[in-house]
Amino acid sequence: MTSILECRELMKAYGKVIAVNNVSLGIGRGETKVIFGPSGSGKSTLLRCLGLLEKPTKGSVYFNGVDVYVSKQDLNKLRARIGFVFQEPSLFRHLTALGNIMLGLKHVSGLSDAEARRKAYEALKLVRMEDWVNYYPAQLSGGQQQRVGIARAISMDPEVVLFDEPTAALDVELKWEVISVMKDLADRGTTMLVATHELRFAKEVADEMIFMDQGQVLEVGSPDHFFTSPNTERARKFMAKILG
Amino acid sequence: MTPVEQIVFLLKAVPVTLAISFLSFLLGLGLGVSLAFMRIYGIAPLRYFSDSYEKFFRSVPVLAVMLLLYFGLGPLLPIFKDPFFTSVISLGIVSGANQSQIFRSAISSVGRTQMLAAISIGLTQLKALRYVIFPQALFLAVPGLGSEIALLIKDSAYSFIIGVIELMKHTDILRASQRSLILPYISSAIIYVVMTFPVANYLDKWGSRKKRELGL
Ligand SMILES: Nc1ncnc2c1ncn2[C@@H]1O[C@H](COP(=O)(O)OP(=O)(O)OP(=O)(O)O)[C@@H](O)[C@H]1O
Ligand SMILES: [Mg+2]
Repeated sequence: MTSILECRELMKAYGKVIAVNNVSLGIGRGETKVIFGPSGSGKSTLLRCLGLLEKPTKGSVYFNGVDVYVSKQDLNKLRARIGFVFQEPSLFRHLTALGNIMLGLKHVSGLSDAEARRKAYEALKLVRMEDWVNYYPAQLSGGQQQRVGIARAISMDPEVVLFDEPTAALDVELKWEVISVMKDLADRGTTMLVATHELRFAKEVADEMIFMDQGQVLEVGSPDHFFTSPNTERARKFMAKILG
Repeated sequence: MTPVEQIVFLLKAVPVTLAISFLSFLLGLGLGVSLAFMRIYGIAPLRYFSDSYEKFFRSVPVLAVMLLLYFGLGPLLPIFKDPFFTSVISLGIVSGANQSQIFRSAISSVGRTQMLAAISIGLTQLKALRYVIFPQALFLAVPGLGSEIALLIKDSAYSFIIGVIELMKHTDILRASQRSLILPYISSAIIYVVMTFPVANYLDKWGSRKKRELGL
């Protein structure tokens, strides 16, 4: 199976700091993969490179088998086909929940106002936010904001959605509402690459888990593998730490 | 002239003062927004140009610019012999530097994630600036723009020197025809306060409220 999104020997450096070092991985249609690893291990950087939001220092990114930076494709067009959910609050603060979703539908997909409105509403319904369409981000809880962020990403009908620790900044009570929306998406067959430390989510939906440490992929395996017998000492310790 | 007639005479010059201030504000707004975006999102030469422009015109007195254009350029380019036009241009050029700084700090406060989020849904950088960054920056800039309008209304008084018939000129005409120097200047000062304070104050309050409401 060819991957929808793939990177090969990807390296990203910020000055002298090597944030991601020699990472190769791919994600195929309908798969859900989870990336986890300590703070600073390079999860966000890797996802930003895969989401074409940042250019890798070295290595390549393939979208549907085509090398993005060699083929000189229009990055804006490709980005519209890759959904991205951010770790930090990222809703457009001057727009309502509905407006946040309509923006891309109108100005990227070229839908009419009425079509965009209808589609945005459908997306909000999927994340159970249909009662909040006219609220501004500042009037919503962190969990609600993240759900609107997910709706914004999926409203563009992307082929793959990247999630960068969407629940990391949330209180425990708010995490589950976001996680359950993500589980729905996985069950519907959405192709997802998710950075998260929510191991219960990983256990239930992940086809594969990827453990990162110091910019590198240290170990890859099924949830079962990581829950029972990780190979590396680092992975074992990290699992123990987040399982408490 | 009775005191009432004198005040009416002063008020007759208010539209010209407001016209100079308003037009130069618009010119400064166009310049300021462009310079700020050039500075933050432009290629190196544009960044350098914007930076130099801002530094230069924030350091030069507006009166110097006005006199230079009027007396220096006037003989070469007849359009600068028009005092009204030259006043608007001078005030606008200098205001552009101030407004560039106002927008620069507003755009920086909008934050990097908003740009990333905007391009992540496939918007081009230009559309992201237009639909995501600029609207938020505008809310953040409003209090600063209020002070800038007040500053322009006050600084429009310089145009009296190159011969625009505005409020300061009327004040001077009264002074010349009066034995009392006090009444014309006091009245005129009060008119300036009435023109500047409410606008600046209102925009400051409105901007701060929006900022709070939207969590900017
Ligand atoms: N824009 C940037 N400029 C400079 N250094 C950066 C930048 N982004 C990330 N880094 C550095 O790269 C390394 C990896 O950071 P990254 O944010 O990708 O890790 P992470 O796994 O997402 O961590 P966290 O779990 O805390 O979100 C860190 O050392 C970080 O300081
Ligand atoms: Mg991160």
